[in-house]
Amino acid sequence: MKKTSKVLTLAVAALMAVSAFAGCGNGGSSSASGESSGSSQAQAGSFDTSKEITVVTREQGSGTRDAFVELTGVLVEDGDTKTDNTTASAVTVNGTEAVITNVKGNDAAIGYISLGSLNDTVKAVDIDGVEVTADNVKSGEYKISRPFNIAYKGELEGVAKDFVDFIMSADGQAVVAEEGYVTVTEGEVFKSANPSGKISVAGSSSVSPVMEKLIEAYKAINSGADIELQTTDSSAGMTAAMEGTCEIGMASRELKDEEASALESMTIANDGIAVIVNTNNTVEDLTLDQVKSIYTGETTVWSDVIK
Amino acid sequence: MQGVFFLTAITSIAAVALICIFLFYNGVPAIAEIGFFDFVGGQQWAPTNQPPSYGIFCMIVGSIYVTAGAIIIGVPIGILTAVFLARFCPAPLYKIIKPATELLAGIPSIVYGFFGLMVVVPFIRDTFGGNGSSLLAASVVLGIMILPTIIGVSESAIRAVPEPYYEGSLALGATRERSVFRVMLPASKSGILAGVVLGIGRAIGETMAVILIAGNQVQIPTSLTEGVRTLTANIVLEMGYSTGLHRQALIATGVVLFVFILLITLSMQAIKSRSEKNG
Amino acid sequence: MDDKEIKEIAAINKITFAQRMREYKRKPLSLVMFILVVLAAALSVLALVFLIVYILVMGVPNLTPDLFAWEYNSDNVSCMPAIINTVVITLLTLVIAVPFGIGAAIYLSEYAKRGNKLVKVIRTMAETLSGIPSIVYGLFGMLCFVTAFSWGYSILAGAFTLAIMVLPTIMRTTEEALIAVPDSYREGSFGLGAGKLRTVVKTVLPSAMPGILAGVILAIGRIVGETAALIYTAGSTTGLVDGVMDSGRTLAIHMYMLANEGLHTNQAWGTAVVLLVLVLGINTLSSFIAKKLSSKK
Repeated sequence: MKKTSKVLTLAVAALMAVSAFAGCGNGGSSSASGESSGSSQAQAGSFDTSKEITVVTREQGSGTRDAFVELTGVLVEDGDTKTDNTTASAVTVNGTEAVITNVKGNDAAIGYISLGSLNDTVKAVDIDGVEVTADNVKSGEYKISRPFNIAYKGELEGVAKDFVDFIMSADGQAVVAEEGYVTVTEGEVFKSANPSGKISVAGSSSVSPVMEKLIEAYKAINSGADIELQTTDSSAGMTAAMEGTCEIGMASRELKDEEASALESMTIANDGIAVIVNTNNTVEDLTLDQVKSIYTGETTVWSDVIK
Repeated sequence: MQGVFFLTAITSIAAVALICIFLFYNGVPAIAEIGFFDFVGGQQWAPTNQPPSYGIFCMIVGSIYVTAGAIIIGVPIGILTAVFLARFCPAPLYKIIKPATELLAGIPSIVYGFFGLMVVVPFIRDTFGGNGSSLLAASVVLGIMILPTIIGVSESAIRAVPEPYYEGSLALGATRERSVFRVMLPASKSGILAGVVLGIGRAIGETMAVILIAGNQVQIPTSLTEGVRTLTANIVLEMGYSTGLHRQALIATGVVLFVFILLITLSMQAIKSRSEKNG
Repeated sequence: MDDKEIKEIAAINKITFAQRMREYKRKPLSLVMFILVVLAAALSVLALVFLIVYILVMGVPNLTPDLFAWEYNSDNVSCMPAIINTVVITLLTLVIAVPFGIGAAIYLSEYAKRGNKLVKVIRTMAETLSGIPSIVYGLFGMLCFVTAFSWGYSILAGAFTLAIMVLPTIMRTTEEALIAVPDSYREGSFGLGAGKLRTVVKTVLPSAMPGILAGVILAIGRIVGETAALIYTAGSTTGLVDGVMDSGRTLAIHMYMLANEGLHTNQAWGTAVVLLVLVLGINTLSSFIAKKLSSKK
């Protein structure tokens, strides 16, 4: 009895030690593979083009998805009917990070994210030969883009007015540009009226990262203002603005008719939607039609779109 | 004073009633508008289409598949581990393993989700093909998540069996293992079953972990490496962006989930009262 | 028999390793079962250890002083305000839930008659409550507190939702602790002329305190890790809350938002470590109290 239990203890202890090492080893190797992916990209041909494409999409109703399917033609409008033809086998996730993580970890994946969230762990492909940059979005050469809107009820006053003035000023637009989004106006140098008070801004999670920066920059100028940022989503932001629970609502899409009739709105920035693939993928350029046929499930393997 | 205590005691009844009222009041009209059979039996979920379709049959099947997968993985391992902890584990090791399982029960599900996305999903993609975010990934991660529940409840059920049962069996010449599996386990059957039911409840209600690793495709999977969408995932994915009937349909999805959980709880009550009668 | 004799008898009955092997040879199925048990246990432990080590490896390097700065801004994404919000929301939830939970437990164990139909209903309802998934609580909290009571996204709405969620936990553990108090305590108190209420408050409750505390700590653990129930009730603003009607994110939501925005994955892992340490601390505290309880007996 005693002997067995001793043997047992040893065995399990050894197992635990091994597992602990495995844990460390894995943690280390995963970061190592992240580094090596850059070099393996150089040796072309290491990417297996016969792989089936893993399509990653956002959830139904997401501002990013709405804009993407409309601009790529995945959404088919026929009179009163609108049909989102995104393939049923598309992986559906509800956040930018989840899209990036899926694409980063999967050689054969394709996804789309906001230009401001693009980082070098994934590769953005050119659409119709145009690289996705703020300049190309601004000039209209890059096709897949959408507005960031803010909306409010009636007349703005006090802090809210001053803050919106700031956003549309040269200083505010500089923040927009710095975050990788596309400016909408030249603007003038901002002069604060220095009102004090508290307002709340609510809405789209796509807009909130840049809004957060705008609020910080504004507070540095006018310390008397207190601005609360509530990250929910476009529809909730518009509803909150209509109900008066927040002063300014944010939407990462065009306003719907019933929203537009109840609210004043303006575009504070434009955002390109970058189509991203794994860094190992050899594809550099896709046409809008190819993107569409991938997302509708007509094209299923990479060799169909890689020459 | 007794009145005050009585009032506090019926808060739980009031709470369940409130939850029922609010969920049903907001969810049932949507089910009526969509049509009960179109809602529960429909295989199309396209709320942003014109005209929209709201069928959650794929999600119901998804929830059942994922839960079944978690049970298949979690229950045997959980019960055997409970046996180990209760009967075979040396005391020093027990002092490490037991707090570790308790710690795991306390880890927020979002952490499990990210772990699954970073480790389990790539592993499945490389080993079994497909894109990794799949029924299998969700089952494995949920199987791990329900382990602490099943281990904890089963272990205390096994420990609750009177020691003379075990000794009596040994005295009759049975090996330790035979005594445990033929005498102790049958005697603690109802306790272990309660643990399994608790595990089912946790698996079916789990949200934040599943959403990251199940792929969330609206389809009935035909293989383990295909993606599924569960009822919970459906709610969290789209709740934020929804308006009007779409939002109500999501609340109605919550109603369906709630009814599922009620059924599970009631069957657990039935198990309990039956075992009380027998014992 | 003294201890020495017992030990000798035990020693005679001990089976040696060789004997065990012979036995396994005769009954190979037993050996198979034994191996299965050990394998399963090893697998569980492996999964658990791997998970914890992985979180630590990913998170610990990201535990920078910036992560604990007093002010949150989008550069340091400090989790300090979230930690304080978590404490605030936890206290608020406990203030609501603990009186109700303990009151209900007192009614069930001290006042209600055995076999009372209502008691059965209350128990069933409490068990139903504990089985409801947190996302359903989240929906309910949003429909009831946020919309119908028009509290808006606020930590009050979050705390009420959580209070209903942890009520059954507190109720159950308190009731168990009360039942564990020996009847002789009550009889002694009655014998000295104390009334029912006095007996309950002055005698039974104090001796059941460690058990009640353990239940409260269990509830805290659940509050700290909650995401789905809070995301639609307490909201997700980043700053410190300045009142119960203000919205604020707890640590778990903070981590979810960080991870979802996609800009701060490293900090998300760091936050995961903070959460892990919190849960570990809460567990240690609860087992410490439980130990105190059993040593008293």
